[in-house]
Amino acid sequence: MNIYLVYTALGFYLVSTFIYALSLALNKTFLEKPGYYSIATGFVVHFASVVARYFEAGYTPITNIYESLSFLSLCIAGFFIYIRRIYRVHMIGCIIAPLVSLVVIMSLNFPYEIKPLVPALRSVWLPIHTILSFIGNSIFIVGFIVSLLYLVVEKEIKKKRSFFFSEKFPSLSTLDRINYRCMSLGFPFLTAGIITGSIWAGFAWGSYWKWDPKETWSLITWIVYAILFHNRLALGWRGKRTAYMMILGFLLIVFTFLGVNFLLKGSHTYI
Amino acid sequence: MKRQAIGIIGLNHNTAPLEIREKLYIKEGSIPELLAKIKREGINEAVVISTCNRTEIYYCGDDNDEMVRKVRRVLADAVAAKDDWFDRYMYIFTDEEAFRHLFLVASGLDSMVIGEPEIFGQVKEAYRIAASARTTGFFLNKTFHKSFNVAKRIRSETRIGYNPLSISSMAVELARRIFGNLDGKKILVVGAGEMCETALKYFQKEGLSDIFITNRTYQKAHKLADEIIGEARPFEALFELLTVVDVVLTSTGSDAPLIGLDMLHMAMKKRKNRPLFFIDIAVPRDVDPAVNDMDNVYLYDIDDLKELSQRHLSNRVKESEKAHVIIEEEATKFSDLLEKIDINPLIGHIMATADSIRSGEIKKTMARLANKDPELADTIDAMTRSIVNKLVHPYLALLKNNQDPAVFDTLKKLFQFEDDDENEMDSGDERV
Repeated sequence: MNIYLVYTALGFYLVSTFIYALSLALNKTFLEKPGYYSIATGFVVHFASVVARYFEAGYTPITNIYESLSFLSLCIAGFFIYIRRIYRVHMIGCIIAPLVSLVVIMSLNFPYEIKPLVPALRSVWLPIHTILSFIGNSIFIVGFIVSLLYLVVEKEIKKKRSFFFSEKFPSLSTLDRINYRCMSLGFPFLTAGIITGSIWAGFAWGSYWKWDPKETWSLITWIVYAILFHNRLALGWRGKRTAYMMILGFLLIVFTFLGVNFLLKGSHTYI
Repeated sequence: MKRQAIGIIGLNHNTAPLEIREKLYIKEGSIPELLAKIKREGINEAVVISTCNRTEIYYCGDDNDEMVRKVRRVLADAVAAKDDWFDRYMYIFTDEEAFRHLFLVASGLDSMVIGEPEIFGQVKEAYRIAASARTTGFFLNKTFHKSFNVAKRIRSETRIGYNPLSISSMAVELARRIFGNLDGKKILVVGAGEMCETALKYFQKEGLSDIFITNRTYQKAHKLADEIIGEARPFEALFELLTVVDVVLTSTGSDAPLIGLDMLHMAMKKRKNRPLFFIDIAVPRDVDPAVNDMDNVYLYDIDDLKELSQRHLSNRVKESEKAHVIIEEEATKFSDLLEKIDINPLIGHIMATADSIRSGEIKKTMARLANKDPELADTIDAMTRSIVNKLVHPYLALLKNNQDPAVFDTLKKLFQFEDDDENEMDSGDERV
């Protein structure tokens, strides 16, 4: 049942992608709205699928690669809707919609049958730790995209030759402000994710911190974002430098999320 | 009087890069001196137009080639122009080509931003400076007045003058790409010249209200600030201002950059790297070009804006074609008119005498007038012109339609015309 909802959501995401691409190609901004409504509908259906799966499986469905990627894409779509409502920014959906679609398609390549929950994950900390961490990660992914956009638009304005992106995407200040919001919202979630994970580890493994690769790499990621946070607030960093830091942070997140699972074996691999 | 050659030697944004234009820029204050030098070389009439985008010397005399040599010499001397610059960057136009070019310039068709209105005022000002330096005579008077007419005709008959693409509008558009919404953004204008005034009026129209004006001469800034809603600040406060404003438009006559890297590094630190956008429309430049490489600092100079304006050009091509047709028509008519002067030197002499009396009287009247409104000056100018034309017309008609030598002789005596004295016109001009 829940899988059909996921396919429906994917349909809306793809329609949204198509409309955004059209709006970009034809240079018609009025198409931005249908694109946005389409991704928003996709989000609602996608959210319903997660709820449905929760009831079908009897546990929070963030326990394997399929569920993780699916939940991640849901969070990205949700955070995008939040950003879009606050900043009234256009066209960032041109990147978010295909990204969300892609992550959903990727997730569907992994086994998605509901299996009984492994004993190690049977805990009240499962929903708390995973939801906090995934919201944090998705915020940083949006931050990464906004940072890339910032660098592209900044380059255009400095080089003064082509204005393809700067004509369509938000102004530098808006991108920088979104970037700042991503950082200041993502960081508490990341911190909370690590703390709850550590508490859970204390209960499950008998030790709050045992330098498991996942723990180590998420700590490294946390330090990078902490430095960024500090530099931004205390040293007045903004613009290009913060964009580079956000990109670095994102690469670390990707590595912590996927790389550690596939490359380094640790206690945190549940596939 | 004999028909004389009219010529131009000059360079503009199409033929020379900013670096060269900066070097050949002649400050308003130095123009009378340059004109005097040209006159000492034996060239009767000359006008110098020097703006950020062009430096042009208009001259009029007997021998075109000789004048070119002389003007080159004076120019090389005045601005230390290298010899090869003349071949690489400068153009020379003569007679019909020359006044066609002037018509293009005055109507803004030769401008970086096609159809921009500022240049019209700049050409008028250049002419005014030359007139008060007494280096304009019959031919350049006629040519420049004709160019004013042509410019006005083009403005009323084509849509080229209704031009949203002034420098200021491009500046605002760029600022939006950096800042997004400009509400509450602070703007600083450095300089109080005509360009600044135009830009300020545009900013105001766009609803930007936090405007600061600074200028080396504080009074000028103060006056400008009174005219629009803005705050004048002393020039010494420039650094302080750089730490608070968001957009800076500079257009001063300073020889050296006012804003350099060191100053800006400090300012950026103080403003916690909040972005700062410079539009430098001054030539020579007011802001060190290296500033554009700094993080969160954006600098557009006059050449960058030119590139931008060209992007918008295509939909204006039609209007500009219309304008070119008008210019062609006027140039041919004007050329014919000058030919007639050539055929009958006495007609030329009569017209020159009448016009020199007229311009002499205008100068006196204008000097007495408390109200220096340019519109009023234009009206007086047009009115006297038509009175003089109407008064002179019967004599000219008589001359043209009557081959009787007695009529010719009477008129010669009446207007004190001597056939062989080629400088007659000059002395006639200065008598008044």
